[in-house]
Amino acid sequence: MRTLVRLGAALLAAWPMGAATYWVLLAGLGGEPEYEQRFAAWVREAEKIGRASADAHVSVLSGREATAVAIRSLLGELSRRIRPEDSFVLLLVGHGSFDGQQYKFNIPGPDLSGDDLAALLAAITATRQLVVNTTSASGASLEPLRKPGRIVITATKSGMEKNATVFARYWIEALRDAAADADKNDALTALEAFRYASQKTARFYESQKRLATEHPLLEDTGQGAGVRSPDPAGGSGRLAAAFVLLRSAQAQAAARDPARRALLARKEALEQEIDLLKYRKAAMDGAEYRKRLTALLVELARVNEELEK
Amino acid sequence: MTAAFLLLALARPFAEAGPAAGCLALAHRGQNIQAENCFARLTSAKDAWARAEGWWGLRRYREANEEFRRAVAERPRDPDRKVRWGRLLLERFNPAEAAELFQEALQIRADHAGALLGMALVAAHGFEQRAVELARRALEADPGCIEARVLLARMALEDGDAERARAEAVEALGLWQEALDAMAVLAAADWIADREPSLWVERALRIHPRYGRLYSEGARFLVLNRRYGDAVQLYRKALELDPSLSGVRSELGINLMRLGRDEEARRELERAYDEGHRDAPTVNALRLLDGAKHFVIRQDAHLVLKLHRKEAAVLEPYAREEAMRALAAFQSKYRVRLDGPVRIELYPDHEDFAVRTLGMPGLGALGVTFERAVAMDSPSARKPGSFHWVSTLWHELNHVIVLARVNNRAPRWFVEGLAVWEESQASPEWGERLTPEILVAVRERKLLPVAALDRGFVRPSYPGQVAVSYYQAGKLCEFMAREWGFQTLLRMLDAFGARQQTPQAIRQTLGLAPEELDARFLSWLEQSLRARLDGFAAWREGMKRLTEAARAGRHLEVVREGPAVRDLYPEYVEAGSAYELLATAHLALGDKAAARGELERYARAGGRDPSLLRQLALLEQEAGRAAEAIGALRRWLYVDPLNEEVHRRLGELLLEQGQVEEAIREFRVLLALGPADAAAAHYALARACHAAGRIAEAKEHVLAALETAPGFRPAQKLLLELNR
Repeated sequence: MRTLVRLGAALLAAWPMGAATYWVLLAGLGGEPEYEQRFAAWVREAEKIGRASADAHVSVLSGREATAVAIRSLLGELSRRIRPEDSFVLLLVGHGSFDGQQYKFNIPGPDLSGDDLAALLAAITATRQLVVNTTSASGASLEPLRKPGRIVITATKSGMEKNATVFARYWIEALRDAAADADKNDALTALEAFRYASQKTARFYESQKRLATEHPLLEDTGQGAGVRSPDPAGGSGRLAAAFVLLRSAQAQAAARDPARRALLARKEALEQEIDLLKYRKAAMDGAEYRKRLTALLVELARVNEELEK
Repeated sequence: MTAAFLLLALARPFAEAGPAAGCLALAHRGQNIQAENCFARLTSAKDAWARAEGWWGLRRYREANEEFRRAVAERPRDPDRKVRWGRLLLERFNPAEAAELFQEALQIRADHAGALLGMALVAAHGFEQRAVELARRALEADPGCIEARVLLARMALEDGDAERARAEAVEALGLWQEALDAMAVLAAADWIADREPSLWVERALRIHPRYGRLYSEGARFLVLNRRYGDAVQLYRKALELDPSLSGVRSELGINLMRLGRDEEARRELERAYDEGHRDAPTVNALRLLDGAKHFVIRQDAHLVLKLHRKEAAVLEPYAREEAMRALAAFQSKYRVRLDGPVRIELYPDHEDFAVRTLGMPGLGALGVTFERAVAMDSPSARKPGSFHWVSTLWHELNHVIVLARVNNRAPRWFVEGLAVWEESQASPEWGERLTPEILVAVRERKLLPVAALDRGFVRPSYPGQVAVSYYQAGKLCEFMAREWGFQTLLRMLDAFGARQQTPQAIRQTLGLAPEELDARFLSWLEQSLRARLDGFAAWREGMKRLTEAARAGRHLEVVREGPAVRDLYPEYVEAGSAYELLATAHLALGDKAAARGELERYARAGGRDPSLLRQLALLEQEAGRAAEAIGALRRWLYVDPLNEEVHRRLGELLLEQGQVEEAIREFRVLLALGPADAAAAHYALARACHAAGRIAEAKEHVLAALETAPGFRPAQKLLLELNR
């Protein structure tokens, strides 16, 4: 959902030519065959989606391979490759634990604590970072992982929610379901994916008549405790709204074509105008609002028509 | 006879109350002031038991409880004290701890009649069959135990055996001619039979002029016989006689609520609560009434729908359509014309719905009918696929019509049997399932004779007997309709309406003795289930092998052996059924057509797993079988109506097929669900409205779609088209 005017411009600006997105996908120990298979399958699915994106570099460590040594080595290597203008996405799938003091990501051999992960990520120079920790008890990892410029998403609201989670399933579903792109601008943002996955997670528990044992949080201010319903207008979710996870192939092609950049700029301008109009809706006469909205939308539709040619 | 001697003679029936026997004798005669004085004196007695009885008599239950604790601590080997304390706890809504005290008393003296009676009362409270045996044991231990005799009479009447109930009550009166509770049972039997029980009323009120329980007992039995309106009148009479009966006032409130008379209900329940009657039913009912703000009422000439706000917009179209369809079908078939609307309440929280069934057996019920009011679980109250709410709605609406025809006078087995049978008439995929438990019950000849079938609903003697009884009753109606025609069922219904008992009604309408009907029915049932009964063990073994093969990924083996196992017991459609294993194996082998065929069989057999019905719909759609895909989606919709995807898919397919009005309905519902992709939902509705020529609505929704998602290309194209 487009909520603030400045976000529209941010989308174009946030896509510097030549910048890449690095995805690191980690599936920890399942403990039982059912979980092993489930975690590995989720990560495989995310890998498939990531690899289909032209500008993404995807690294995967799953099950037995996902040891602390291997993870340190991978992130160390990436820290040397990733540039500040790149984007970085870390997805943790599996079980997590919390002993009242420390969050731990359960992997073969010694686990990695929240502090360990934070230290490893500190070496990554990408100014735009997204960490999606979908494990049980992941809420406890929010505090060590948060920092300015980084979006942290957790499947649970605290370390006390210790049951296996389903958030990962819906996060990955968001990556492949066009419905997750709520504003239909051919770019799926972290905020859109979070909202989609959170809603689906909540409905899962409702429909199964089970007490919800996970309450996803998003933190992107670098200092907050995370929120369940981020609202960029209120301050939370601004970074996430500007963090593009995936773009459609058509959008990627258009952005690379200099001849179309003018049209894209006009499109962004119109979208900003629409945002501004929506922002003022409450203070406007209904008919007038509708008339102006229709005019702007019709023009936007025509620009898009041109872009499609 | 001196007054003291008279009191002593009167006190004998209350001997188990020890020091309070005399006070209870006064209360028994309605001499309330004297009785209160008597109890008050006891509260300052030296003996803790006497003080406990005194406080109990004054309704100071907390103090009574404390004194009983002391009394039992003083004489821990005295079973009488434990039994009396248990009776207090039982009266004050704590049957579990009461049962512990009765057990402790029985450990001290195994044949303590009072303790056995206490256990029987606890069991009767939970409608357990063993209550009868316990009451009999109490009578063996003390043949003069009047309460045990009265309890037997009450339970016989609950089972619908008025003759036995009368006999037991008369026995009790033989033991003590002032046994008011026995007179209450006799009066209740008369009310159930539509006779005015003047003799018992007169005799009881002569002994105790303010004996309100005479009427409230009658009311309780009328409730058990589904005559809620009549029960309300008796409750009111009870309270006119004795306004202090706050428990009775609570029951009046609950029954008013059942009938949808919420304001009256609230008044009575609040008064009962304020008077200190704060048992679970009262508190729950008040809480439910307080929750009214969460519900909306949608009313027209035929229906009053009470739906939770969060799902009203989703459920209303389907609830209305199905209710109207069911009412039209049943009114015509049963030749009944309702003169007012039927109230249907759907509860997303099963506990809210359960409040309306408190005091009745079978809290696992999905729906209950109170004359013209139906209360039931909303589809969101249970895990999708665990029940078919439309089938339940038809079942309950059948009760409305059937009970209207006979003015609420028909035995439970027949009313339930007709409703179960009618479910399967409305759709062969609905109705009571033939579960393994039912097969075992048939094989082990556990079905009850028709004349005693009500007992299977009210007082089950083994786990699962209620479900078995539903199945049996449904099959019995099917058998009678097949053998003698539906008109005979109507005649039987009228015989019940004319207050005939089951044996008499069977004799009159079928010309058979009930035992002969039992024999013929069992023979037919066993014949129709012969293959299932004979193949049951082989099916179980086969399923074990099939499941192992499926788990190990031996798909060819599943495909080879699955059909034979499935056909041994084709009604089995629960999780992990042969249909499911076969469909999965076919898909793994890449044979989509075979998987589709298997899932079609599954759906026709009444399978309700939403994920399997979804899979079927996708396979049908992929195969270009639009009509079949729509059928599968509708099946899915009816077990999982709060699922966004089903409305989206069904709407799209209907729109493709040109069924635009139905598509509009689906997309409206989709929007009401607050979908994750609101823009796409608005756009879908805009397209459907456009196809239906409703341009203004189409514009409205395309604008809504683009307001949410300005870059939504398909919606932009539609906008341009609409603005050309």
